[in-house]
Amino acid sequence: MEFTFWDILRNLLLAARWTLGLSLAGFVCGSSIGLLLLLARISPRKPIRLGAVFYIELFQGTPLLLQLFLVFFGLPLIGLDVQPWMAAGLGLTLWASAYLGEIWRGCVEAIHVSQWDAAAALGLHRAYQFRLVILPQAARIAVAPTVGFLVQLIKATALTSIIGFSELLKTSNVITNATFAPFTVYGVVALIYFAICFPLTRYSKYIERILTVG
Amino acid sequence: MTSCLLPRRGLAAVLLSGAIAALGWTTARADALSDIQKAGVLKAGVFEDFPPFASAGSDMSLHGYDIDVANALATTLGVKLALVGVTGQNRIPYLNEHKVDILLSVGWSTEREKVIDFTAAYAPYYIAVLGPHALAVPDAAAMAGKTIGVNRGTLEDTSLTKAAPPTADIKRFDNYNGVISAFLAGQVQLIAVGNDVGASVLARHPSIEPEQKFQLMSSPDHIALNKNEPAFKKTLDDVITKMKADGSLNKISLQWLQKPLDPKDL
Amino acid sequence: MAGFDPNWVVEGAEALANGVAMTVWLIAVTILFGGALSVIGAAARRSRLAWCRGLASGYVELIRNTPFIVQLFFVFFGLPSLGLRLNATVAAILAMTINVSAYGTEIVRAGLDAVAPGQREAGRALGLRGLIIFLFIVLPQALRAVFPALASQMVITMLDSAVVSQIAVRDLTYEADLIQSHTFLSFQTYALVTAIYLGLSILLRRVLGLAGRAVLGPGIS
Repeated sequence: MEFTFWDILRNLLLAARWTLGLSLAGFVCGSSIGLLLLLARISPRKPIRLGAVFYIELFQGTPLLLQLFLVFFGLPLIGLDVQPWMAAGLGLTLWASAYLGEIWRGCVEAIHVSQWDAAAALGLHRAYQFRLVILPQAARIAVAPTVGFLVQLIKATALTSIIGFSELLKTSNVITNATFAPFTVYGVVALIYFAICFPLTRYSKYIERILTVG
Repeated sequence: MTSCLLPRRGLAAVLLSGAIAALGWTTARADALSDIQKAGVLKAGVFEDFPPFASAGSDMSLHGYDIDVANALATTLGVKLALVGVTGQNRIPYLNEHKVDILLSVGWSTEREKVIDFTAAYAPYYIAVLGPHALAVPDAAAMAGKTIGVNRGTLEDTSLTKAAPPTADIKRFDNYNGVISAFLAGQVQLIAVGNDVGASVLARHPSIEPEQKFQLMSSPDHIALNKNEPAFKKTLDDVITKMKADGSLNKISLQWLQKPLDPKDL
Repeated sequence: MAGFDPNWVVEGAEALANGVAMTVWLIAVTILFGGALSVIGAAARRSRLAWCRGLASGYVELIRNTPFIVQLFFVFFGLPSLGLRLNATVAAILAMTINVSAYGTEIVRAGLDAVAPGQREAGRALGLRGLIIFLFIVLPQALRAVFPALASQMVITMLDSAVVSQIAVRDLTYEADLIQSHTFLSFQTYALVTAIYLGLSILLRRVLGLAGRAVLGPGIS
């Protein structure tokens, strides 16, 4: 069965669904943990703060590829049966949570301390200061860099092919093997990633522009 | 800030890995054959980039010698077949962790015998060194100073490492696709693969005109299964014997290897 | 399942040392060429010529919106079809340089934008030519402003370089792959190598900070 160019394109586009699915899962789960990390990072209690710093430094200071290997080879050691999609999802979630937590911390710290003071002067408990006054303002600044990170996450899913998750890049390796046409196949793969990421990048820049001026 | 955290981080990493390594119990399982029949599906680990044994068609379904044999096994057992893509590196761990029930295209070695069981051979497989027509490589010694690609963790890797002179530059890739693509792109001068895989590459007439230079060893393909499964092993062996006897294995050989099955190859 | 066996650490030590050397070599060359290319790219992005701006902008968007591993595979496996065959190490350095420069271009451009126009005017008032003004007055100030971001990008690129093991470059990750394929102690090997990368990233940040202070003066973090 010979591959036509249309076969190559069609199969790659179908595989791109898995890339998008994994990206979404990683983003949603990573955001949940990232939020907790943010709260820990700005916590007045030193051990909690340091724990968050430790976590962030660990995941930002080591290669994502090795983090994926550690999850993939590590979980079976504690008796869990790990499928590639689980290791891919968990690995990307932990990695994303560290970056999102740090990005959001930057946004929260960009809010001037007078906002916290004013909220405290109104008699609000610290948790409410955060939720009612700081968070809405920080969230506004956070949209652009968060969307920018989503682009990084989508590109990062390509590494999960190495631990055997069948997304766009792994499928392209199989097709390259069947067609002996790496220039065409990897070229099309690059274009598909570009088609997914570029609109998000533009959107992020657009948000940054209107939320900074307005 | 970062420097005072470093000793803590390093220590944590070492302690964590030590603790995790010290654990590692396995859950008890019932007999494989009855498990498979109860589940109604046979999970077979195959390569996805390994023509003519297993490679993808334009609809991305796998076809090849191994696929046909796996189908015959599943039919005999009366279950569905689920193909799982594996790499040379992860396939034995996959089998031991029961992510798959059997592996195809497994060559025998004493190290492997310690961790897995083998059925009778079902396909011939000669590990050979391939190179472009223009490059003269009559034997192992001639590999000196040349680059050779091989799939890491396979018997090709082991036999090549043993046979290659010290100045040979062995480049190990994660999967067969990397090996073959690197060879066709001229990134490695030679590769060590099965001679039929090489024939498959040659059949597409790439411009470098690859040919077999010399053979490293004969390593017929067996099916691998977990140890201590006598009923399962017997069932698999019976199917292979039957396929040899009734000519169906010979038909598969003719289709994918373009030659009849010779018993002395197995 | 074997326990934590220290022997494999000793056996693999030499292999890992070679891997570290290769990883360091790759990022050192990349920083050199990548730094230069970033400055050129930033200048191109701010050029008066529309085609120059467009070309640089197109390059930045293309590289920043595609994964590094795809760029690497394209250079190593794909370019030979066009007759351009680069060996694995050169291909890795080329891919890493092209990749880091796309991000570096944007970072340096932000730095250049932050330098007050008055600086250029003052330079011209002193009778200096454009290139001299750029290299000795504007660029140092721009780099001082964005140095932390630039250094971070270099560290990120070093961590991304783990992927070049896929094209059989004998970097730290490649050696780890090799060791664990023999010892079957996958988790332990990768845990050790992860710790080494962590050490390298801290070290690289320190070295870049020192270099920055040496070249650009005090105040670089």
